[in-house]
Amino acid sequence: MSNYIVLVKQVPDVSQITDNAFDPETGTLIRTRLASVINELDAQALAFANYMKKISADQGGKIIALTMGPPMAEEVLRYSLSRCADKVVLLTDRALGGADTVATANPLAFAVRKIVKEILKNNNDYYVVSGMQSVDGDTAQVPPQMAEELSLPCIAYATDAEYKNNRFEFTRIISGGSQVVAAKKLPAVITVAKYEYPLFATFAKTRWANETQVIRWASADIKATHIGVSGSKTSVIRVFPPGKSTRKCRQLSDVKSLAKALVDSFESGNGESGQDADAQRPRYLLPNKRASLLNRSFEGIKKEQEDYEILTDTLSELGITKVSQIDNTSKKKILDVAGEHFHKKALEDMINGLKLTEPTFKGEVWVVAEHSDGVVHPATFELTGKARDLADSLETKVGVCLAGYKVEPMAKELIAAGADNVYVIEDKLLDVFDPTAYRKSVADAISTYWPQIVLYAATPQGRMLAPMVSYRVGCGLTADCTRLDIRDSARKGDIALLLQTRPALGGNVMATIRTKNSKSQMATARPGVMKRIPPDKSRKGKVIKHKVQLSENDVSLEIIKTELGTGDVNFGAEVIVSGGKGMQSRDNYERLVGTLCEGLSKKLDTQIERGASRAAVEQGFIERVHQVGQTGTSIGPKLYVALGISGAIQHMIGVANTETIVAINSDPNAPIFKQCDYYIVGTVEDTIPQLVQALEET
Amino acid sequence: MPNNKDYNRVSVLVVGAGPAGLATAIQLRTTKPEIDVCVVEKSADLGNHNLSGAVLEAEPLHTLLDSAAPGWQDTDAAKEVLASKIDKDDIMFLLGKKLAFNIFFAIKLAEIFRLGFGQMIHKGDYSVSISKLTKWMGRIAKDLGAEVLTGFAAEDIILDESSNKATGVKLVDQGLDKEGNKQPNYVEGEIINADFVVLAEGCDGLLTEKFIEKANLQRQSPQLYSVGVKELIKVSPEQYNKFTSGRVVHAMGYPIWRPVIGPGMFGGGIVYAGVQDHLSVGMIVGADWKYCDFNVQDALTNFKNHRFVKQFIDGGTVVEAGAKMIPEGGYYAIPREPETGSIGKGNVMILGDSAGFVNMLKIKGLHNAINSGMQAAKAIAETFNNGQQAASRYTELIDRSKVAEEMKSAKNFRQTVAKFGPLQGMPLSVFGGLLPEFKIEKDYEAMTVARYRLKPNHNFDKDTFTAVAATEHREEEPSHLTILDADICRTKCTPVFDSPCIAFCPAGVYETIGDEVKSANPSNCLHCKTCQRKCPFDNIRWTVPEGSGGPRYKRM
Repeated sequence: MSNYIVLVKQVPDVSQITDNAFDPETGTLIRTRLASVINELDAQALAFANYMKKISADQGGKIIALTMGPPMAEEVLRYSLSRCADKVVLLTDRALGGADTVATANPLAFAVRKIVKEILKNNNDYYVVSGMQSVDGDTAQVPPQMAEELSLPCIAYATDAEYKNNRFEFTRIISGGSQVVAAKKLPAVITVAKYEYPLFATFAKTRWANETQVIRWASADIKATHIGVSGSKTSVIRVFPPGKSTRKCRQLSDVKSLAKALVDSFESGNGESGQDADAQRPRYLLPNKRASLLNRSFEGIKKEQEDYEILTDTLSELGITKVSQIDNTSKKKILDVAGEHFHKKALEDMINGLKLTEPTFKGEVWVVAEHSDGVVHPATFELTGKARDLADSLETKVGVCLAGYKVEPMAKELIAAGADNVYVIEDKLLDVFDPTAYRKSVADAISTYWPQIVLYAATPQGRMLAPMVSYRVGCGLTADCTRLDIRDSARKGDIALLLQTRPALGGNVMATIRTKNSKSQMATARPGVMKRIPPDKSRKGKVIKHKVQLSENDVSLEIIKTELGTGDVNFGAEVIVSGGKGMQSRDNYERLVGTLCEGLSKKLDTQIERGASRAAVEQGFIERVHQVGQTGTSIGPKLYVALGISGAIQHMIGVANTETIVAINSDPNAPIFKQCDYYIVGTVEDTIPQLVQALEET
Repeated sequence: MPNNKDYNRVSVLVVGAGPAGLATAIQLRTTKPEIDVCVVEKSADLGNHNLSGAVLEAEPLHTLLDSAAPGWQDTDAAKEVLASKIDKDDIMFLLGKKLAFNIFFAIKLAEIFRLGFGQMIHKGDYSVSISKLTKWMGRIAKDLGAEVLTGFAAEDIILDESSNKATGVKLVDQGLDKEGNKQPNYVEGEIINADFVVLAEGCDGLLTEKFIEKANLQRQSPQLYSVGVKELIKVSPEQYNKFTSGRVVHAMGYPIWRPVIGPGMFGGGIVYAGVQDHLSVGMIVGADWKYCDFNVQDALTNFKNHRFVKQFIDGGTVVEAGAKMIPEGGYYAIPREPETGSIGKGNVMILGDSAGFVNMLKIKGLHNAINSGMQAAKAIAETFNNGQQAASRYTELIDRSKVAEEMKSAKNFRQTVAKFGPLQGMPLSVFGGLLPEFKIEKDYEAMTVARYRLKPNHNFDKDTFTAVAATEHREEEPSHLTILDADICRTKCTPVFDSPCIAFCPAGVYETIGDEVKSANPSNCLHCKTCQRKCPFDNIRWTVPEGSGGPRYKRM
């Protein structure tokens, strides 16, 4: 008799987001402008737990919904009760507020312990089920971190379950395919990537839910070890609106001009891909490399930067060139001039900061490699390139941690891609990716060498491994970064921090985050965003073998079947035509994408590849190997044509490096229209035949 | 659910959380707090399916809340909902695309001579958002201990043949796929058993109409409808100040009626000042229009482009929009039990717009809806142990209330216009109740092959309209709009009338696919139900989709 503890979260209804939901000054979300709803994937997780209970013909199993949040989060618990939950627990306390993922996972794990003890009477036959990620945070870190705290196996990105031979087998998404796995021991944590049948409330259960007592626990009840702001290992430095997309977002009224735009942008190329501003910024210099310690051109936050500028200006007016020359008289003079900008305390902080020369973190810059079948994942090369850049600024080495079985041959390529040291962990038990075995190995290497930065690819594998490793070694982690910079935060006494910038709230805001209370700074970075550097075969590097004691007990998953997408897909093609849910059927996909590919290939005389959104793949319009996006492949063609694709963030980040994006969609409010270059509002059925004809005539 | 309570049983079940249904709940919990009352509502959240101008004559609301929630006037919610008191009331006559004449004096004169028209004065009323009003009333009802449950759509009312009594309602099945197969999350529509059923569904209520048929209630004269479309537009502060806050404008004439050379339709446009630089702009047209290519939104476009209106809204942003029907048949169209004349029957009462309590001389019905809700609650409280008397007691109370007084005075105003056309009908209606009752045709029978002469060049952008109405249904559910006989469309309608549903549906639900007219986009439906009242062959039926589907009005 299995029991189910389902994690649910209350989130702002991001689907209803409009421009006026944001404070124009700070870029932060005005929470009251949006309705609060249950996180959609958590609603699916709840239904998934109910489905597991049903297929195992397990009448006695309990479903317990757990949430952490302000008192109003009780609403998602009522939601759960009105569907299928038997009991609900609300973890609410001011002390728990302001938490990052560590300080969220930790108290939730302690609450799970208390639930097991008090409600399940120490019955250890249970599953923790949760949505893969929340729509507001988008990190997918909390469930794996909880699994780590509770020492449980974690099966991420589940899409289906079957009950066979008295146990559950889960189908889950992996890069480029799917896999059927089972947990080798219980309990286990399951995260749900997609379950299409969220439950409906019934009238009777809704009334019952409104009468039912919610179990409320405060911080003191669960005795968690990492809570609130002080228990967090990352902190948000600033939130800002995403830079105006460099996309043109031009609506075209007829297919003729669309045909022309397609041909023109392919032939001329607009030269710039979506995000390339990174390369333009000057490289960070360590304090001892600067002309003067007073040179603070690399300060982090805008206000700090301005304050330092005012300070240095004032110092040069006073003829002061060295920090040691500043005495009480000069401080007084500075305050006379600049007192309206900052107070005495801030001045002291700044002067103390100016005296600092040593970086806060020490060690190499690491990348944790991802690979399959002896081939290194492209994202690993991209990250190695970025690590090279960061390490050069920091005057340290690039290390790549390569765990697996018979993986040493790949070290050469990694060195050519920019690595100085490749840390190889070889073990037969690492032959295929198992989250617990891998996290043990990688964490062991990290806590032996203590690099100052560790980067992982934000692939399904990396987003699973990174939270477990970081939690295990007690470090903060920022998910899905699109920008990584080294900056000082001298006022707080920190030099050469890794500033981690990522989109949040479905891409509606950007947040810059720093690591704290950690020995190493960790981040996952989106594939396709960082640039790999051209391989240099002449580069020299060392292979360092690291031995980790592993036993069968460290392997938590039994892999029953792996299905990787079949067929040759050339995502290196110059033009990619993708279809989404708007294609309605497999036949339509075949016919419409087919004719457009044909028409374009005739006109442009190049190879055209077919792509698809996740929705289209799930509907069975085309094989998974064609999937573009976060859980598919990230691409960067010259021309990307999106047909009937709404433009969910998970899809759009996969095409960020495209030169020109063209969209056709019947929904005038489709988000993709704000993230493309040219678009037409219209149904694919009507538009494509006309477009093909117009292409012939152009 | 561990305890043994029957959660599918309630004493009083109110169908529809609009002003009428919520007034019932509020009044009942105030008068007899020991009676449990449950309001079910198909929209996702309170107020999501409520749309009106809206001018509120506040007296019934005051009476209701004075006893239910003393001190209510000092609450923030009351101040927000009733923020805009009307102090300027204009009636314009639009002639062509540019000219506008203020004819308020004529109404004023009518008032002095106590002619029917004179009731169309709104000074002292409130210009409100009915969505907000409903949401607020819902909170008050909940505070008083009523259960108000959104997201539950009722599909049918259940009558017990032997006792001739309603036993409850059936909710709609949920979790079917497009073809009607059961998905893994399928939930059969639950039966809710109740001692009293209060039908407060709004205009053309699904259960109301089913009940009228099942219980053999009669309307002396068929119900007549109007279709209203409305946009809430954010304008510049200058435009708003120019219009002036606290002002409501009703406009007649262009673009739906022109003297001598048509088009000749009943209705008019509205421009109401809201709060914070928002103006409500709408167009209401009697559904007995005869132009097969007419769409009320086309009239709205023309109205918005009229010089008088344009000055206030040009360059503004439409932030919300919606459509609904208004029951305009008046006194003769109230459904009654033939023998006793009761509005409803036995333990079933029909309220507000479902009953048709719109006063066409005032062009207001909100106050009557609230008033009828209060009377229903009183009737239930008095007949609690003898439920079969509820409907007749309710009718007695209505007859003694201002609702009946008003309905009688406006008696056949709308029918007169329907019969004789706006040009002759309006002046004739001055004789009000003196005119004999006459037979009129149903709205859909009025359709002809004539075309609307002022059709704008560009098709109205229905996609954007439904997008700002935030309408949404689960894409995979079966279509809730049924074309009864496709042959009729093919052989009789399309060749003659060119499928009017495609034109008039404000949400663009109907489309020709292949060579057949289909309800192709049911997920865009705004629940206005125009299609089932205006299809020239009465060939479309609106059923209820899964709960929570439909528009999500917040400020309508």
